[in-house]
Amino acid sequence: MPESMIQSVLKTNYGMVKAYADHKNDGIVQVAFTLPVPYARSSSKAALELAKAMGLVRPEVVHCQRVTDGYTYFIVYAHCPHSVDFEALQADTPDVDFMTQAEVEAFSADRIGRLIVVVGASTGTDTHSVGIDAMLNLKGFDGHSGLEAYACFRAYNLGSQVPNGVLVAKAVAVNADAILVSQTVTQQQLHVHNLAELVDIVEAEGIRKDVLLVCGGPRVSDELAKELGFDVGFSKGTYPNHLASFIVTELAARTVEARRDSRLRAAGGW
Amino acid sequence: MVAVRLRELVSSVPRLSLFGLAKNTGKTVALGATVRELNAAGFVVGVTSVGRDGEATDALDENIKKPSIYLPAGSIVATTAALLRKSALSREILAHTDFRTPLGHVVIARVSAAGTVEVAGPSSIADVRVVCDEMTRHGAERVVIDGALNRKAATSPLIADGVILSTGAVLEWDLEAVVRITRDAVDLLRLPEATDSTLRSLAARVRGAMLVTGDGTVPIESEVALAGTPERVKALFDAHPTGHCIIVGGALCESFVENVRQAARSKGMRFVVGNSSKVFLSKRGLAWYRAQGIGIEVLKAARLSAITVNPVSPLSHRFDSRHFRESVAAAIPDVRVFDVVEAC
Repeated sequence: MPESMIQSVLKTNYGMVKAYADHKNDGIVQVAFTLPVPYARSSSKAALELAKAMGLVRPEVVHCQRVTDGYTYFIVYAHCPHSVDFEALQADTPDVDFMTQAEVEAFSADRIGRLIVVVGASTGTDTHSVGIDAMLNLKGFDGHSGLEAYACFRAYNLGSQVPNGVLVAKAVAVNADAILVSQTVTQQQLHVHNLAELVDIVEAEGIRKDVLLVCGGPRVSDELAKELGFDVGFSKGTYPNHLASFIVTELAARTVEARRDSRLRAAGGW
Repeated sequence: MVAVRLRELVSSVPRLSLFGLAKNTGKTVALGATVRELNAAGFVVGVTSVGRDGEATDALDENIKKPSIYLPAGSIVATTAALLRKSALSREILAHTDFRTPLGHVVIARVSAAGTVEVAGPSSIADVRVVCDEMTRHGAERVVIDGALNRKAATSPLIADGVILSTGAVLEWDLEAVVRITRDAVDLLRLPEATDSTLRSLAARVRGAMLVTGDGTVPIESEVALAGTPERVKALFDAHPTGHCIIVGGALCESFVENVRQAARSKGMRFVVGNSSKVFLSKRGLAWYRAQGIGIEVLKAARLSAITVNPVSPLSHRFDSRHFRESVAAAIPDVRVFDVVEAC
């Protein structure tokens, strides 16, 4: 279940990790590529040389196949000597395990127990609503339904070219738990100014602590989002369930803390 | 010589915040110089940020290396436990706060050996203020707050006694244009304090917004101030023709100022806002509105301590540092202008 999944990610001491095939940290990887060489006895040598140039150790061609005249496809197994420090990476990114729609709904029913209100728009001069539509609208994209389809969300999509003030006013009016901003196409770092202004307006209205601020778009990274004062940023390859997983996990954590805080206050331990 | 003057300027300000007009205006370098000068002057420095700063490369362009935040031994820092661990600095945790960021809880620590660290403070201004108080309580004699790029909130007089504004060649190709953008930003930062005691006492109590008329006050829904159409604003003035001042408790957005300007016609109008970090004018400068009879005053004014210039636009063009500094100084009276790289 989500709870145990989250706890396991938070508690396990990962440290340095290598690729996995047969046993932990054996470093075995599988690489697939096509070379513009004929399907012949010597062509596997080319594949092995290329694999070594990639820094792979003890490569073996386990499959090779003619694609068309003069082109051959290879699958290579090899040992990759490199490792990554997963723990250090966890310090950088808000760690949230991705859940499916059903898991998000179950988690939310269990841990939040009320409708979660989200307001989203593509702001400023950006006329593209494709990003925010993919995240919020019922049909979603690529077979993943948007938040409108989730039983636990009430989603308002204000569309594109929405002034920051209008988005914040709507969030205040519907008492939103999260504000989602999409920036698809921008010039001259306009998205940076526009995103910063949104956070400052939310701050000026005195509601920064009451809402999750989420931004997304092809030129938005989590790092940039953090630097601008958002809670999270989503880039390419984000599906609605990724966004939904973040919102419910973060809201649940805040709910737990709010309960603990009020208990502490009641007990005079503040 | 120049560096000494920066030291004198920053030494007298208990809480300083840094505000960059854009990426690569040299804010992080200015922060480094400020911390170094305060340390050299013998102060224990506490450092935190609104949001996050201090990564090794730029969040927008990986080709641009960013200087990380260097803390002298004995400094105090408010950041998340995970980022402290990552820095591998030897440190003593002084306090755990309740302020949660997506990177974890903010802790207050003293670094026992000098080194670099990523700083991620609380995201709300109210929480940053509490964190600054905590650092002071734990021995920080001067506090430096790193405002994330373009974030005006960091200039709020609620958290900072002085602001160092960083500007740079990155803003425009043309030096005159950079000077103009900088002057407009300083104009906005240095909005005058409202002196009318009646207005001040009304403003201290306002929720949302309020129109002051010849014979009383009329509440304005905050939705009208944030997102009102020209028609709704006009209807307000048609109903209350003696309205002459608007008090705004939250954000003052340019669309509202513009709608009011049109509705009030040639009559002129005065706005009173909490402080300059709540005023959002990006299309036209304050001077233009002033010429139209629109005045903006604040309850608490921000203080500009210094301006730093970065004459280099990374991977692009550069200005002559001296000429740049002199042009900025000529356009903006009563403030010292530094090239932090040259100065230190």
